[in-house]
Amino acid sequence: MDVWYLIIGNPVLNVLIALSHILGGSFGLAIIALTIIIRLISWPLTKRQLNSTKALQDMQPKIQELQKKYGKNQQKLQQEMMKLYKEAGVNPLGCLWPMLIQFPIWIALYQAIMRALATTPENLLDLAQRLYSWEIVSQAIPLNSHFLGLNLGSQGNLLLAIVVGGTMWVQQKMTQAPAVDPRQESTSRIMLLMMPLMFGLLCLSFPAGLGLYWAVSNIIGIIIQYFATGGWGYLKFRSPFSSTPVKGK
Amino acid sequence: MATTPYLSYRMKQPKTLFLVAIALLPLILVSCSLFGGASISGGWAGTTFRDGIIYACSRDGRVVAINSSNQSQQWDYTFTSTTIYATPIVDGDLVYVGTYSGQVCALTIDRGIERWVYPRTGSIGAIVGTPVVANETIYISSSDGRVYALDTTYGDLKWKSEPLADKLWTSPKVMGATLYVSTFDGHIYALSVETGERLAWSFEAAAGFASSPVSDGDTIFLGSFDRHLYAVKIGSDVPMWKFPKEKPAGNWFWASPIVNEGIVYAGCLDGKLYAIKAETGEKLWEFDAGDPIISSPVLVDNLLIVANEAGNVYVINPETGEGERIKNPENDDKPTINAQIKASFCAHDGLVYIRDENSKNNQLHVVDIDKGEVIWSLNLTE
Repeated sequence: MDVWYLIIGNPVLNVLIALSHILGGSFGLAIIALTIIIRLISWPLTKRQLNSTKALQDMQPKIQELQKKYGKNQQKLQQEMMKLYKEAGVNPLGCLWPMLIQFPIWIALYQAIMRALATTPENLLDLAQRLYSWEIVSQAIPLNSHFLGLNLGSQGNLLLAIVVGGTMWVQQKMTQAPAVDPRQESTSRIMLLMMPLMFGLLCLSFPAGLGLYWAVSNIIGIIIQYFATGGWGYLKFRSPFSSTPVKGK
Repeated sequence: MATTPYLSYRMKQPKTLFLVAIALLPLILVSCSLFGGASISGGWAGTTFRDGIIYACSRDGRVVAINSSNQSQQWDYTFTSTTIYATPIVDGDLVYVGTYSGQVCALTIDRGIERWVYPRTGSIGAIVGTPVVANETIYISSSDGRVYALDTTYGDLKWKSEPLADKLWTSPKVMGATLYVSTFDGHIYALSVETGERLAWSFEAAAGFASSPVSDGDTIFLGSFDRHLYAVKIGSDVPMWKFPKEKPAGNWFWASPIVNEGIVYAGCLDGKLYAIKAETGEKLWEFDAGDPIISSPVLVDNLLIVANEAGNVYVINPETGEGERIKNPENDDKPTINAQIKASFCAHDGLVYIRDENSKNNQLHVVDIDKGEVIWSLNLTE
């Protein structure tokens, strides 16, 4: 536990508080700035993912060709598409990895928000043990929890939950490669809905500050995706299997 | 055929990743709750002694009156679904308790029967700072940022101040016709005790104030989040002094200091107790207790008693700063009390009454200073 705080927990907390002081005491702006910083740090990973998405988009004519050619033989179609993906060095579900890597950041940010905003006396007392002796940090305490009408330490903001869910759906839809068969299509469709839905629900039970981080991170992701791949990606793509019923398991 | 293993892996991958992603979400919830969150423990209400009775609050929201001579429980009163941070205070025939759920309750000292509760319905903001009674009025600072003044007999509202800060977790200080309150955003406000209106003077510091104000003459002493202890002359815009003068201390001065015969004794979260000249801010000595000092020290028979968070209790000579740890009655290697100490404690007739923070077996401990040992302990939780 101490290693966790030493490497991730305390640095995130102190950077967040220092940013808050630099940005005129606005904790909300500090969260946005931290989101941008995290996005910059994870840029190599994002770039790899974008290249993968771009490659998938470029492969669309070939995929459609394969679908036409092997439309009646699903097994052959899968084999050929996988071969195509392998040759291009593309992972159709690569979009998950940046999310998984951000997992420790979410926990650290959650802790940082709860401690920095000192929503309980215990949190405030605990904060004392985790602050660096930087003047910039001590002058920022305690933080202002209000930002754009949000109380960043409180839970249950429905509007924010909708924004988080909505932006996550858009970002996922932009990057999610077409399914190769009806069964995979079914899984992809569930995932496309489940993740935004789950994050929307999580947003309701976590402090609004974390929801703000998710929302901003998604919006930045959408912007990067738009400019890097030159458009909305698969957002407007309609799967050829979307109306095909899935039979059996 | 050579591609078969790769393909079968690919076929399984979406489902696996999907399951991993779904499994991660509850994991986020569990991790966040495990690694720290908005946890409220049991509050850290201190102890009060009056006429042979110790009034203490347990971590499960009970107020308990204990006869100090035979350690018997006189009565108890349970607040459901809340914790208590404010130390119960006794005035006349009533005990006043402020709860974290934002209610103030007056209980009779003989039987613990509820005399009144404020507000009658609903609640004001969470009460963390200990209320103060003066002039038949109880003054309460609340997490809604206001100070409330209630009639002690009936609990009627006399006045409530304008919001002074985002939240007030410190205790007010009444000096004559003026009430002083410190805020997390670095202000000391002066209010009229009669009307609650803000008076002309206020003090503003660069950093917020962590501790409640204490006074000596016309000087207020309090700790700040910038790791300094401030001495502020009432009416002045600049601090009389800041301690330490140059480099900040190792942490916040969380506990309110005490002042005796021109010397300020201030416990710090860096584990040290500092003795400072009240007039000049000059350090006389420091005592290293090793772990954060959360509760204020007390003076007993011209000896300073200080406890650290780890559960060690020290007896210190206020002139020299030399101290000695009170030993654990069962094991010399363990802290004086086998649990954390965060609550403020009280002393009477050579005995110190300390509540620990043990979550399972929350206890009250009585330390005999002359004997230098814990003479008895009592369970507070049901």
